[in-house]
Amino acid sequence: MKPLAVLLLTTVAATAQMRVVALPSKSPLVTLRIVFTAGSAADPPEQPGAAYLTALMLARGGTKDLTYRQLVEAMFPISSSVNAQVDKEMVTFSGATHTDNLEAYYKLLRAMLLDPGWRPEDFQRIKDDAINSLRVNLRANNDEELGKEFLEQNLYQHSPYEHYSAGTVSSLQKLTLEDVQRFYRTHYSQANLILGIAGGYTPAFLERVKKDFRSLPEGGGFRPRENTLEPIRRNRAVIIDKDTRSVAFSLGFPTLAIRSNPDYPALLVAISYLGQHRSGNGRLFDRMREKRGLNYGDYAYIEYFPRGMFLFEPSPNLARHFQTFQIWIRPVEPPTAKFALRLALYELEKLCRDGISEDSFEHTREFLAKYVNILTSTKTAELGYAIDSLYYGIPNYNQFLKTRLAKLTRDDVNSAIKRYLRPDRLVIVAVAKNGEDLKKLLTSDAPSPMAYNSPKPAEILGEDKVVERFGLHLAPEDVTVVPVDQVFE
Amino acid sequence: MLAKLLVAVCFAAMLFGADAPRKVFPYAYSQEDLPNGLRLVTVPTDFPNIVATYIVVQTGSRNEVEAGHTGFAHLFEHLMSRGTQKYSPEKYEATLKQIGASSNAFTTDDFTCYHTTFSKEDLETVMAMESDRFRTLKYAEPEFKTETLAVLGEYNKNSSSPERKIGEVIADTAFDRHTYKHTTMGFLKDVQDMPNQYEYSLRFFDHYYRPEYTTIIVVGDVKPKAVRELIDKYWGEWKRGSYQPDIPREPVQDAPRINHVDWPSPTLPMLTVSYKVPAYTDTAKDTAALEALSFLAFSPTSELYQKLVIQEQKVDQLFADNSLNVDPTLFGIQARVKKAGDMEYVRDQILETIKTLRNTPVDAARLDAVRKHLRYQLALRMDNSDTIANILARYVALRRSPDTIDKFYAQLAQLTPADIQQAAEKYLTDNGRTIVTLTGARSAN
Repeated sequence: MKPLAVLLLTTVAATAQMRVVALPSKSPLVTLRIVFTAGSAADPPEQPGAAYLTALMLARGGTKDLTYRQLVEAMFPISSSVNAQVDKEMVTFSGATHTDNLEAYYKLLRAMLLDPGWRPEDFQRIKDDAINSLRVNLRANNDEELGKEFLEQNLYQHSPYEHYSAGTVSSLQKLTLEDVQRFYRTHYSQANLILGIAGGYTPAFLERVKKDFRSLPEGGGFRPRENTLEPIRRNRAVIIDKDTRSVAFSLGFPTLAIRSNPDYPALLVAISYLGQHRSGNGRLFDRMREKRGLNYGDYAYIEYFPRGMFLFEPSPNLARHFQTFQIWIRPVEPPTAKFALRLALYELEKLCRDGISEDSFEHTREFLAKYVNILTSTKTAELGYAIDSLYYGIPNYNQFLKTRLAKLTRDDVNSAIKRYLRPDRLVIVAVAKNGEDLKKLLTSDAPSPMAYNSPKPAEILGEDKVVERFGLHLAPEDVTVVPVDQVFE
Repeated sequence: MLAKLLVAVCFAAMLFGADAPRKVFPYAYSQEDLPNGLRLVTVPTDFPNIVATYIVVQTGSRNEVEAGHTGFAHLFEHLMSRGTQKYSPEKYEATLKQIGASSNAFTTDDFTCYHTTFSKEDLETVMAMESDRFRTLKYAEPEFKTETLAVLGEYNKNSSSPERKIGEVIADTAFDRHTYKHTTMGFLKDVQDMPNQYEYSLRFFDHYYRPEYTTIIVVGDVKPKAVRELIDKYWGEWKRGSYQPDIPREPVQDAPRINHVDWPSPTLPMLTVSYKVPAYTDTAKDTAALEALSFLAFSPTSELYQKLVIQEQKVDQLFADNSLNVDPTLFGIQARVKKAGDMEYVRDQILETIKTLRNTPVDAARLDAVRKHLRYQLALRMDNSDTIANILARYVALRRSPDTIDKFYAQLAQLTPADIQQAAEKYLTDNGRTIVTLTGARSAN
């Protein structure tokens, strides 16, 4: 495996022109997705969270003419809003409205994005919300998302991807209104803008929107800090120590297999086979939950997928130049934690070693060729995928995937597995009570036998004998225990 | 008995004058009953290729009347994928995979819903497979025991959330006899005892997985006649049952109640104020009035929200939830308070707001804004077949018909400020109140 010594690529537009994705239809609704290709990777080195607070100031603060209260009151009867999503490379403002209210809605949205109010009282509230969201919503209340986001941080150490997109508590505390205004002036430019619109708008309306957004500076596009990704040379683990009932695991490594990579469709088949999100048809789900009742579910990913516990389909506009291979083991009872981790790695190793069978290949390919229709079945998803396709430089995702899947062979999939997946150079994040005890357990070679509440077939019991001794290859120096209140602090 | 065919056509613009309110559910649909009591609702939409089926079984945690067996309605959400003679669990999953379907289920207080979204050419495959598991589910004790562990896993993954915990305590504190006393997940001790309850599970299935409890909603690129033929073919033989649960009536609450949760790890303090309110109705204004009230008094445009969240910034979350339930239920207000020292102040502000609602009519213009908000909110959600079916499922679970939505919104349309005041006087009473607070091990701030 070659080290990922690739610079974060840039998408600097040759000319500083906004890009437009327009999907007109006869719908009574209009959906907007306005993307700036400057996310948290563009945060100044000492200011994690700058992109995030900037986006929140626009989406949850007043405009030059309207206080936040007036804005909320104007949005309320039309039941519309502008939502912000901040990832490493993209900041997305999205919303939808009924054509009855398009004029009223657009007037508000335009003012929010182009004439923000920058009021200190809004800034204070938004900053408090951001800090509480880190400390409480993530760190205190959601072990699974905490583990996933901490995994991201540990995968991208010393790169612009490293810090959590929503910042850290100490950085958020230090950020000033001037900092976020500077971020806005620097990065909210036409060169960074992808304007997405779908639904029942008129051509004249779209022209007006384009004209309005031309008031943004032309800009030179986002130029991230030059940095390389550090290769992961052997398994390591980080345990977040917190008072919690069960043990949540997330594990993975960074990958260059993004959608524009020729091997992407092959890997998508492999990952869907291993652990299609929230579906009963993945291998991990079947072996871990269905056959052994270890937990609520186990899945695998080839792209970053936040908020997976709340969503069946991924949110679009999380496009990146590096992606994350990830296995998500939902919380397990502490006595079975080590066995569950071993079983997931055993299955990954098996996939890396044996590849997938002709049958599994055909079924998974067939599944994905149809499932893509569901992924893109809402207007906002269709628009979001179209924007991502533009960013990645691929055709319409739905057609692209179907065409590429049709040409794929089992050998393509198995050779992609060999080149991109590996069972032995992973970062493992656990969220658990008594972290030091778990560390001792994970670094010991002792078997972790399973006990069941019902008879199991001989095949399962036989496999358990292998799994219970499966090597995690973790020495004490490879495992760190972090108290929860230091995570994202 | 001949099946009854009702075709409701609501081409609002054609049937109503320009001034008449448009129906909020804009699709023409068919509603039909099979002789065995199964109901079918078919809604053709113009979203191409995709079909969503939502199978609503009117059995939720409300139906768990026997002590020691809470959580069984939800357990079936899991057991239903444990196979039949015709479709082993592996074959069931393989078929779903082959057709590229997205399939899942959820359980509420009042119903369990099995939903699948797929391409239109696979409708017959889905209908055949769904009817098979509803009619002939068969699982052995070892598989049953394994699946109960997945339910415990679900309890575990929820257990890091203080919102879940406070929800459990509110229900347990506010109710004495009615089954709303426990949440859909059930009491932890019952979840832990599930592996020993195989025989009981067979009884539960026999009672509730019956056509008279079930409505099939089919939304998308379909024709009602073709759907009906498939339903007759695959579901016509399903046998009607006779079980009627004796769901305990909740006695009238005669004094305010309070409770507190000590959360073992740091989190922000939470304050909830809940009131006993009546069962869902769309033949009177009560439920609609409480729904409007929840927005008037506690949504981001309300005076209280503006004061506590935006101006004083003492609270970072404030909302009210008016449940639409089959039986008398709770109207809940929830605030997350930034500093524990402000808890009493926030509680008093909420109680003061309730008092004002009882004593003073709300502003008519604001009531209009709420009505408009609710109509557009619904219209904006109906942008794909799956969500339309999902919205319908929640109303069908109450009254077994899509016209429930229009009836409820018609009640909203007729509300006056006096109706809101009357609902507040009648239901948001001190004696019907339950306050539950939660504080973390130490403040997160």
